[in-house]
Amino acid sequence: MQTLSPVARAATDGELRLSIDSSVMNTSEPEQTTSTETVSTPTVAITDVAGVDVANESIEARRARFERDAMVYVDQLYSAAMRMARNPADAEDLVQEAYTKAFSAFHQYKPGTNLKAWLYRILTNTYINLYRKRQREPLQSNADSVEDWQLARAESHTSAGLRSAEADALDHLPDSDVKNALQAIPEEFRLAVYFADVEGFAYKEISEIMNTPIGTVMSRLHRGRKLLRDMLADYAVERGYLKDAKQLTETEK
Amino acid sequence: MGDCQSLGDCDDERIARIYEYLDGALSCEDLTEIKNHLDACTDCSQEYDLECVIRSVVKRSCKEAAPETLKAAILARLHAGKPAAV
Repeated sequence: MQTLSPVARAATDGELRLSIDSSVMNTSEPEQTTSTETVSTPTVAITDVAGVDVANESIEARRARFERDAMVYVDQLYSAAMRMARNPADAEDLVQEAYTKAFSAFHQYKPGTNLKAWLYRILTNTYINLYRKRQREPLQSNADSVEDWQLARAESHTSAGLRSAEADALDHLPDSDVKNALQAIPEEFRLAVYFADVEGFAYKEISEIMNTPIGTVMSRLHRGRKLLRDMLADYAVERGYLKDAKQLTETEK
Repeated sequence: MGDCQSLGDCDDERIARIYEYLDGALSCEDLTEIKNHLDACTDCSQEYDLECVIRSVVKRSCKEAAPETLKAAILARLHAGKPAAV
């Protein structure tokens, strides 16, 4: 697993700093290798990395490199943006904006580090800084109480005998139910779960993408997964794939 | 049956371990411990299976393709050299 390094150059542009100011950015490792130092190490990856002279790259070359390396993530970023913005038009705006910012900052991205995580960080920041403010929706205003309520319900549903029936039932849920269930859990939890389960990012990467400590990421994941489970079980009950947890517990006695 | 008769023992910390196991975030000792535990404990192994199903369902459901118009728009702006909006 690739580790991400701290910021190398502080971006001078205020807007950029706001959007992408820390750890997914470039690095200032002292052993900035030059191509002569890496000649003796004949691995493809290193040659490839050393092959990019970011400082002296022409704008055309940078654009071509960006197109080649960054555009492959557009479907993934769009999927993530749909979980953030909730509708296709806004998701498209968000991805467009993120790509524009990413290209503006691409000279600060260190080739060979995790580009996908770097792009996700920009997307997430774009969403938080720019887009969510515009929405003016009280997204998190009652998150705490909603969450407590949801968690209390989740606890009451826990029953060992349910598990295998539940797994079968959840497996048959239509995509729309799963998306709605995800959408129903508080945003920080939703994004953490999404980054971990869909994108397979490590805790450290998620903490960098969301700009939160790893401990926070872990607790968001833990709670988010519990909430998601419960929401999914509700949908399964609604669809008749699963008996209501309480009834089932009764019949098991 | 493992060392837990009821969910009480396995409920929280172990389930957190199962999450971490699936996340690839456990140390070697913890890995061995949780693997042995999953072999021995029906409740937790069902918990594990359920968690796997949830992850695959979420993964499957969230796959979207970006519209071609979006890809074209990104490339167009890239080539127009328009700076990021403030």
